[in-house]
Amino acid sequence: MSNTVIPLLLDSLASAALIFFAAVGLTLVFSVLRVLNVAHGSLYSIGAYVAASICLFIASRQLSPYLSFVALLFSAVFVAAILGPLIERTLIRWTYGKSEAVQILITFGLFLMLEDLQRMVFGVQSLYEDAPVRLLGTSQIGGVVYLNYQIFLIGMAVLVVIGLRMLIRHTRLGRLITAVVADREMAQSIGIDTNRIFILAFSLGVFLAALGGALAMPTSGVAPGLGADTMVLAFAVAAIGGLGQIEGAAVAALIVGLARVLAIYFVPSLDAVAPYAAMLVVLLIRPYGLFGAVTARRI
Amino acid sequence: MRVVLAAASVVVLAILPMFAPWLQFVLTLAIAKGFAALGVAILLRAGLISIGHAMFFAASAYGVAFLAARGIGDFASLLVLSVVIAALTGVIVGAFLVRYRAIFFAMLNLAVSMVFYSLFAKLYGITGGSDGMAVPIPSVFGMVLSEPAFKDVLFYLSLVLMVVIGLGIHRYLDSPLGHALSAVHTNEVRLEYLGIPVWAVLLIAYVVSAALAGLGGAIAGFAIGRVVPDFAFWTASGHLVLVAVLGGIGGVPGAFIGALFLELLHTAAVTVTDAWNLIVGAALIAVIMFMPKGLYGLFAREKGAER
Amino acid sequence: MKFKVGLTALAFAAGLASMVPAAAQEKPSSLGLGIFTFTSGPAAAYGMPGKNAADLMIDDFNAKGGIEGVPVKPIYVDEAQGAQGVIAEYRRLAGDPKNQVMVAALSSANCLALAPIAEQLQVPTVGWNCDTHQLLIDGKSKYVFRPNGNTIPEFIAYAIYLLDRKPDVKTVAIINPDYAFGHDGANIFKAALKALKPDIQIVAELYPKMGSPNYQTEISRLATMHPDVVFSNLWGADLENFVRQATPRGLFTSSQVILALGETILQRVPLPDGVIVGVLGDGWWMSPDAKANAETAKFAEDYKARFGEYPVFPSIKMANALIYVKAAYKAAMQKNGGKWPTRAEIADAMKGSTVATLTGTTHTRADNDGLVDQIVGVTVKSPDKPFPVIGDMVRYKGDSLMPKADQDPIAWISTLKPEFVKTLPKPGSYK
Repeated sequence: MSNTVIPLLLDSLASAALIFFAAVGLTLVFSVLRVLNVAHGSLYSIGAYVAASICLFIASRQLSPYLSFVALLFSAVFVAAILGPLIERTLIRWTYGKSEAVQILITFGLFLMLEDLQRMVFGVQSLYEDAPVRLLGTSQIGGVVYLNYQIFLIGMAVLVVIGLRMLIRHTRLGRLITAVVADREMAQSIGIDTNRIFILAFSLGVFLAALGGALAMPTSGVAPGLGADTMVLAFAVAAIGGLGQIEGAAVAALIVGLARVLAIYFVPSLDAVAPYAAMLVVLLIRPYGLFGAVTARRI
Repeated sequence: MRVVLAAASVVVLAILPMFAPWLQFVLTLAIAKGFAALGVAILLRAGLISIGHAMFFAASAYGVAFLAARGIGDFASLLVLSVVIAALTGVIVGAFLVRYRAIFFAMLNLAVSMVFYSLFAKLYGITGGSDGMAVPIPSVFGMVLSEPAFKDVLFYLSLVLMVVIGLGIHRYLDSPLGHALSAVHTNEVRLEYLGIPVWAVLLIAYVVSAALAGLGGAIAGFAIGRVVPDFAFWTASGHLVLVAVLGGIGGVPGAFIGALFLELLHTAAVTVTDAWNLIVGAALIAVIMFMPKGLYGLFAREKGAER
Repeated sequence: MKFKVGLTALAFAAGLASMVPAAAQEKPSSLGLGIFTFTSGPAAAYGMPGKNAADLMIDDFNAKGGIEGVPVKPIYVDEAQGAQGVIAEYRRLAGDPKNQVMVAALSSANCLALAPIAEQLQVPTVGWNCDTHQLLIDGKSKYVFRPNGNTIPEFIAYAIYLLDRKPDVKTVAIINPDYAFGHDGANIFKAALKALKPDIQIVAELYPKMGSPNYQTEISRLATMHPDVVFSNLWGADLENFVRQATPRGLFTSSQVILALGETILQRVPLPDGVIVGVLGDGWWMSPDAKANAETAKFAEDYKARFGEYPVFPSIKMANALIYVKAAYKAAMQKNGGKWPTRAEIADAMKGSTVATLTGTTHTRADNDGLVDQIVGVTVKSPDKPFPVIGDMVRYKGDSLMPKADQDPIAWISTLKPEFVKTLPKPGSYK
């Protein structure tokens, strides 16, 4: 038993990092735009596909494998720069102020379209390039060999949490975003270009989604169906943490990660149920999530 | 005028499979999904969007498979019992969930349905895992039927139920209970000041919608002959909402129009293209943006002008 | 009023439905084959090689005049649309008498769902890949055939090979996909080990969800148990992911790994030497029998030229299934004096047939299940290919690992004795 404690904790952290990356973009977009983006999972898998394609290209040209780290970041920026403004301007903008049902349906439509478009562009074979994993090597911890890349991911997740916090609390853009979140009309009336803020915020969300996919790709590969699975996981984590709460998503990812790992270690038949069961329990006790503020009912 | 049109459509539906027998399966399935979409549409009237209603669809379909495996072989009992299972599930789930609104209602439904989905998929020993369970051909009033004969019975019964239950739901939506439902959407607080228990109004609606989804699930289970966990996956729930919105939530026929339109279009499209999701996704966005009343709205408006 | 119309229609329809389409005896202008496989979703990584093989094979048939002079027109159905879509498509295709035979399906769930419909509509249906032993277990099937054999011999073969190669194995861990194929495979493998070497301990059984991209936690769990052997029948993208994640973490050096569907990834993932792999049947395009067959060599080269990879065993299973269909037409027409056969005559010709395939022979038993040989081996470096190949091979005879048609398979396995292994060929004997 004691010899499993360290692997168990490390596995939980590693799996929490991946889970956090799946959810953080969703929760950020909700916090600023008040839109639940059902197509979020597709953006995640598009990030993974683009990263895989670029990394495979680098490998095929026998360029320096260190470039593949750059490629992971670049693919997230690339996806965000193209799809962020495009989707926000054409679809998301139209839903502001509309009912949640409309928002969910519009983004569900987008999800369906993106799933097919990915298949047309990237095919159905799984894509995979693990140069970043190989470069970082392995370590033996608690009697088990781990990829250093897994530990790198834990570090990246911590960085993203801190980075987003700094961005929102301590930069001009962050303050503008906070102002818009607090009161859209007031922000507009004092001369804040809310349209620009929305585009930026949504693109940041797309960036985080794509980054999550890109960072997961070297260990997990990417295959059709990733988007739909990521989506529910992201839902669960965002809901547990409280929709729109970045730190909440991080804590929720830890809870879900721990739940999954405990299940795999001790009751393997329950591992797929664990995230949703955790979500259900938390939501029944705290319906607005662990960190969610209770919002007033609409009058 | 409207009644005549509706009656004519039902007759066309009844005759269609005689010319293309394979269509019978497609139409049975469309009606089944129409019931489930109608359930979703009822909640949409109160402004509540459920991305989890496939759980009742699946609960009832699995109910049929379970009861059949436990020796209940009568069609009517299976149908009634499985709808009761769905409705009871609706009572339990609904009692918790109707306190919530908006995004939280949507997410909680999703959470519960995904628990259902993963349990169906995981409990291999009980549910057969992702291979699912077989639904045998039941006896109809003691008669043992061949498979084609049973499928005929199933199709025409579904058609009859569509009309009868459709009328029932129409009455329900037109009753004070139904109007209170729409009022939840527009002004919930006023409703409470008037002394109407919103919680009860919504719970009744939730149970009715669960039962409708259950009826659809039972019919689908019989038609397909097999139930699989995918019945409860979140995208299946998403599709039910899609059908409801596509058809239009303004009236009972909307859900069925949406389901029939989508199934027939799908049947036509799969032979030409495999980009089906792209088409449906684009259609959904277009309908929401440009035809907020759905296909049925198009229909109803034209007729309004005519009158 | 509406109700009355409905009743009249009901009576009318019942009358109409009882009419059966007339049997076709004229040679049609084309022969439609419904071919069911995964062309999208996570399982497409496995389904597309099947479709590719079908494309290649059917082009080859048609270049030589089709089947008995009738050009073949394949109609592909994507199994990823789920059981209801698959059934709807099957019914639609079966409604057209030109589509005489269905080659369906890849997934066991879809085969199980389609089997009763095939019997009801009386359409000869050839399961090209699904191998659950539950499919034909009742022995009453008239129209459903499976020339590719079933899970029982497939997984017993691994247990026997393992015990021959590593007689002192004590602990075994299993990681299989979480659905019938994974659970059945585990049960058969466990039952065989228990019968043949009762002191073996199963230390872990993991069943990750199908389509899981990440196996790191499972790999940690396996590593903490230090099992002698890790058995897996993961497949498709799941198998690739598992292997890629497990290799750097040392699983392949700390345990003897068995990948039941390992051949499918030989060309895609660098597998270390010494991993026990096989092809669930005899469909290894580089086996001695396959190499001796000019037709197989040509198929493999054509496949490589057209799709950029050599065929994998799902491709061979599809190709063999189509050869099986073609042979049935030939036999049926010989029997009825050269007339174009009906669906019933084709099914009749399949029953009890023995057909030479690209990689061996398939004999159809009375219960419509196929007897094919099982090839198992280990990965070795290849002198002339840039990827590992299978070496130290054994080829078990199809009937030696199959229970009789009316026996309960798991009960039959438990009657096996350790001496049974001694009667079988040894690893390395198939050269």
